[in-house]
Amino acid sequence: MTATPLTATGEFLARLEESKCCAAIVSDEQLELAMASRTPIVFVLRGNGLTLGPSIQRIHATGKLAAVHLDLVDGVRADPRGVAWLARLGADAIITSHGRLMPVVRKEGAIAILRLLLSRRTHLDTALTAVSRAGPDIIEVLPGVILPSLGALMPKLGVPLLAGGFIRTEADAEDVIAAGATGITTSAPNLWGMYAGA
Amino acid sequence: MQAHERLPRPALPRVLIADGGGAPIRVPLMLRAGLLLRDIDIAAVIGRVASFEGVAVIDLDSVRGMASDEAAADFAIDTLGVRIVMTRRAHVAAHVGSRGGLGLLHAFAFDSTGLTRALDGSPPLPGVGTVVSPGAVLPHMRPSELEQLARPIVAYGLLVRVADALDCLELAECVVLRQDVAAELATTARRSTQPVRNLLTTVAGEE
Repeated sequence: MTATPLTATGEFLARLEESKCCAAIVSDEQLELAMASRTPIVFVLRGNGLTLGPSIQRIHATGKLAAVHLDLVDGVRADPRGVAWLARLGADAIITSHGRLMPVVRKEGAIAILRLLLSRRTHLDTALTAVSRAGPDIIEVLPGVILPSLGALMPKLGVPLLAGGFIRTEADAEDVIAAGATGITTSAPNLWGMYAGA
Repeated sequence: MQAHERLPRPALPRVLIADGGGAPIRVPLMLRAGLLLRDIDIAAVIGRVASFEGVAVIDLDSVRGMASDEAAADFAIDTLGVRIVMTRRAHVAAHVGSRGGLGLLHAFAFDSTGLTRALDGSPPLPGVGTVVSPGAVLPHMRPSELEQLARPIVAYGLLVRVADALDCLELAECVVLRQDVAAELATTARRSTQPVRNLLTTVAGEE
């Protein structure tokens, strides 16, 4: 197994700047579509985390970065060993809702993305504390499509923000970016690579 | 069979005001809203139910001091007279439905994949509806996704604007609002045309 050179947050963000809409994939078919698209980063949300190495290598071979969701892939526990495993497979970024794992992800040389699930207004109130405590490189907020409706209620978190969840149209994507998202993760292939070369 | 099990299944109001047991909730007359008792102590639940004349709904998973099991649901129905119970546990929602009440299965909708997974294991059951959290995603769901949701549907969470609440009322039978948003909705309705006022009195899907 060959560990791929790890990517700095700056490069990750620069890729996002190139094309803000990234592929979030849950199947092999979507992986093929994502690799053929202009998405700069592929977010892997399903699959067997123990055998993801070849998929990550294929993603890298197309010049894209790979972000893997620790909590959603099968076979890997959301603990420091699980983080180390995914980093060893070459994941450029690791996403998890477990704030305590952020320092572990960074120590393993990957970009630490904290996933914040918002379903109540109290979650907005506690988000800042959660982010301050965890110290992620990037946060991903779900469901991202409601970001524009939150307006000033959404606290300034001081780190780049990805938005994912129910973002399906160009209008959704534009509204979410206008609301302050640095980038978007979406399973809608029609949006992958949107803004590329703009 | 207890007397209340022979009653018609309880109906949801179009608006529930979230009540965490703090200062008493003032329900705008225009809305005829009920209360959603959530993030609240068991003793406060009892006090609220005793003093409130409208429809009360209990979020079983968030009542401090209560388990979220069938015994707690039975307590809500038999002792408190609360026949609409929200829970994340499908078997508890089904139990409430089987007792003649309305069980509301709480489903989280952070993205389409997660929503599909959440609903896969929940076949429609008599007397069981769906709570979608956050409710604000409802207008962003596809018709095919909405069709998967057992009715009645309650939109719960992050409805911070009146416009979003009205959008949800077009699709769902009920919305959960904070008191300030509910008051704003009542003001809007008073100043609005009949179609908006109709949204607050007509159940979604009815002519």
